Amino acid sequence: MNNTKNRNLSGDVVDAHELTKMFGEEAAVNSLTMKVPRGTIFGFIGPSGCGKTTTVRLLTGIHRPTSGEVTVLGKHPVEFSKSDREKIGYLIQSFVLYPELTVWENLNFAASFYGVGLLRRHSRLNKLLEFVELSEDKGKLAGVLSGGMKRRLSLAATLVHNPELLFLDEPTAGIDPLLRRKFWDYFKDLQDQGHSLFITTQYVGEAAYCDLVGVMYAGKLLMVDSPEELRRKAYGGDIIGIKTTEWIRYENRKKLEDLPFVKGKIKVINDQEIELVVDEANTAMPALMEAAKAQRINVEKIEQISPPFDDVFVRLIEEETVNA
Amino acid sequence: MLKFLIRVSSFLSKELTEILRQPKLILTLVLGPFLLMFLFGLGYPNQNRTLRTTFVVEDPKSLQGDLKLFTGSIPGIADQDVENNKELALAKLALNQADLVILIPKDPFGTVQNNQQAKFIVYHNEVDPFQIAYINSVARIYTDEVNRRILQSVTETGQASAGSVQGNLDNAITKAQALKQAIPPGDTNTVAQVNDLEKDLTTVQEQLTTFRSMGPDVLVSPFMVDTVPLSNVQFTPTDFFAPAVIVLLLQHLSITFASLSIVRERRSGIIELFRVAPITAFETLIGKFLSYLLFEILLAAVITALAVWVLKIPMFGLWINYVIAVLILLFTSLGVGFFISLISETDTQAVQYSMLLLLASIFFSGFFLDLRLMWQPIKVLAWSLPATYGNRMLQDIMLRGASVPSLLAEGLALIGIGFFLVDWLLLRRRMEVQYS
Repeated sequence: MNNTKNRNLSGDVVDAHELTKMFGEEAAVNSLTMKVPRGTIFGFIGPSGCGKTTTVRLLTGIHRPTSGEVTVLGKHPVEFSKSDREKIGYLIQSFVLYPELTVWENLNFAASFYGVGLLRRHSRLNKLLEFVELSEDKGKLAGVLSGGMKRRLSLAATLVHNPELLFLDEPTAGIDPLLRRKFWDYFKDLQDQGHSLFITTQYVGEAAYCDLVGVMYAGKLLMVDSPEELRRKAYGGDIIGIKTTEWIRYENRKKLEDLPFVKGKIKVINDQEIELVVDEANTAMPALMEAAKAQRINVEKIEQISPPFDDVFVRLIEEETVNA
Repeated sequence: MLKFLIRVSSFLSKELTEILRQPKLILTLVLGPFLLMFLFGLGYPNQNRTLRTTFVVEDPKSLQGDLKLFTGSIPGIADQDVENNKELALAKLALNQADLVILIPKDPFGTVQNNQQAKFIVYHNEVDPFQIAYINSVARIYTDEVNRRILQSVTETGQASAGSVQGNLDNAITKAQALKQAIPPGDTNTVAQVNDLEKDLTTVQEQLTTFRSMGPDVLVSPFMVDTVPLSNVQFTPTDFFAPAVIVLLLQHLSITFASLSIVRERRSGIIELFRVAPITAFETLIGKFLSYLLFEILLAAVITALAVWVLKIPMFGLWINYVIAVLILLFTSLGVGFFISLISETDTQAVQYSMLLLLASIFFSGFFLDLRLMWQPIKVLAWSLPATYGNRMLQDIMLRGASVPSLLAEGLALIGIGFFLVDWLLLRRRMEVQYS
């Protein structure tokens, strides 16, 4: 897989402004504004039915937007030429290849309809099969493959023409955690080769693998940021956990709470463990140690805590619901 | 252009591989029609049906011992059986122990001698209009044959009687000659009269000799008929139906394959992938047309070879004409099939539409019933089916040795082009941006 085109790694591959898609009276996508920088893995996260697939279809030119502006690789998707389409790879949610054809024949078919020349096709397909670890299975009928193998075959078919920008619609849906991890390894490899990836998922935990994450809920894009920034936004800052060797008294806790960089109330985990939110963990931790020492609190452990993205996501949604 | 060819070729190899991966299907497609035609040939030899007949003679004495005149061997009538009781005979008919009951009139000769027609009554228990028409035809043949036999019998009797008349005539001529000798000289008037008498008697004698020398069957039925086909070949039912079976089969397979092709892809969701990919509706359609056309050509070649060289179906026309007709038929049938595929929402719908078209083709394409018998407005439906054109073209080429009938070929090709354009537009709508 070293034959990646020499790409211009600057600029945005996707630029959407107030993008809206109505189906009758219902807004499937509502005023979506975002940019996807070239060369990034952009995770598009949200519960089932929140408008992720509709967004992908708007970005690939399958749906025409009801209103708003969008450019993908500098063009409106509806006006894509053949050469524009050659730069795009699209992985559909479900397995759509032909069960009566072998792995190799399916890939060959995909290569043909993407117009991949016969001369370089053979080596290209072999490299792809190696990449998705299906070389040993290339003679098997697609219909007899396991769910995970089918997803890998679909991914290989998406990559067959070496596209610049990949739209992967829930590539890890319905597969086991180990294989999901492997898929994200593939995506990282693809990013390293210069591809830009737009990946939708309903597994919130997968946000951690992305450079940027868009959080979608009920047709609205709530926010776009890096995973860490999302955490910070969800909790209002960094979370620091403190474990002491003895019971933390209420007065001591109150004093810590009154420190200027500590935000909100301290969360008591148990008699010897607390969690607090600070502006910036790196600067706050030495200051907290000083404050604890001044109060004669014997700190056993102090560390920055990364709450699971499921919790982050739930908080963000809750906040949005409350604000709405 | 190269990329166009590469994209078109994607369907060519994909569709063919999918079909070739099903050897049982191919075997069925090739051997199925061959076996059907073979069994059809065995099942329908070129013979008319003979009807098991019971004659009812309620008054045997009235036939004066001439029963054979009414019940002797007659074409179409077999296993004769004579009853005196009409009710018993009709009961046999109802129990399917007889196909016909012929009621011979009481005292037929007396009726005729009284200057009246004697009437046979023929009973049957058929419901099929074609069989009823056949029975009517057999009944006419029966009546003609009985009439002929009676006339022949009368003629034979007349010829025998003419023998004694001829002896009398000889005597009369001899006596006229003697009379002529006895007339005194100078009585020229009497001589002239006797000469006229002798001449008249000689003419009657000659005519009587001619009458006696002619066969009674020639006298009764002086004219016969013999029908000769232009090709001078007596076609069997298999010969007649084979071109139509080939046409129906090729049309049905083309329509079924094509009708399932796109609807399955729409159902699986891959059409969404085609929308995003750099492949156009035109390239997709051309690719699919070519792949199925190639497969159907191979299938047509094998079926035709089996029909012509194994079943010995006549092929009087030129092969090039046959190939042109089959190509146009396949192209148009595929167009119809893709149209069904594009308007169907499910596989089941597509199969149902294909079956409806097959039924319509069986009833309206001239497969069983001659199109000339069809009510004019319904002919519009008949001529909208590819099989109607195909049947006519293949029968003309194979059985009459004609060239491709240009009006039929152009008409069918025009329908094919029309369907191709409509398919293209529909597929474009399916593959392009959804405006909803």
